[in-house]
Amino acid sequence: MVYITSWDEFVERSAQLFRADPDSTRYVMKYRHCDGKLVLKVTDDKECLKFKTDQAQDAKKMEKLNNIFFTLMSRGPDADVSEVTGKEQTEAQSGKKGRGRKQ
Amino acid sequence: MVLLQLDPFLNELTSMFEQSTEKGTVWVTLKRSSLKSKVQRNKMATAGEPVEYRCLIRATNGKKTISTSVGAKDHQRFQASYTTILKAHMTALKKRERKDKKKAAGADKKEGSKKP
Repeated sequence: MVYITSWDEFVERSAQLFRADPDSTRYVMKYRHCDGKLVLKVTDDKECLKFKTDQAQDAKKMEKLNNIFFTLMSRGPDADVSEVTGKEQTEAQSGKKGRGRKQ
Repeated sequence: MVLLQLDPFLNELTSMFEQSTEKGTVWVTLKRSSLKSKVQRNKMATAGEPVEYRCLIRATNGKKTISTSVGAKDHQRFQASYTTILKAHMTALKKRERKDKKKAAGADKKEGSKKP
């Protein structure tokens, strides 16, 4: 189980993992209020990346990551993810094209 | 495993968070899925139809599992509500700690910490 210490590295590698195999990659979040801990895991069943934290600021960063994953998953791995508001621009990109199975 | 519509899912998720405040965990999993079997998918691909993918979201508190599936058109709305729920409930995390938190290596706003 690989715990990544740098948030940016975690995001970068998770996005790569997802793009490489969108059908088997999943993103799991575990939150324990009583311990005040948050753990994120991204795995494609071959490789696993984890990130744990107890910092409120990381929760904010996680929200951004959630957005990224939502976009990638519902629109397809080729969706343009610019990590912030650039995501909304993907609406201009046609919905169905590019969503086929990767050859 | 209960498959719900978007809004009931969000409501159930909220109550899960509320119930696990004193003790317990909430897990949320996100995965892309087309919700069809491989055979159907292959058929659709060869027929030239675009395969429609959705985002499968599952949540559990260890005892009960709920799930929902979000497509591209609902995803923004879901995302907004989901973010609100998380923000409202993840209050147990620590606010900017003093420098001895090595984990905060990624955080560069650290030095602005208001510890006199």
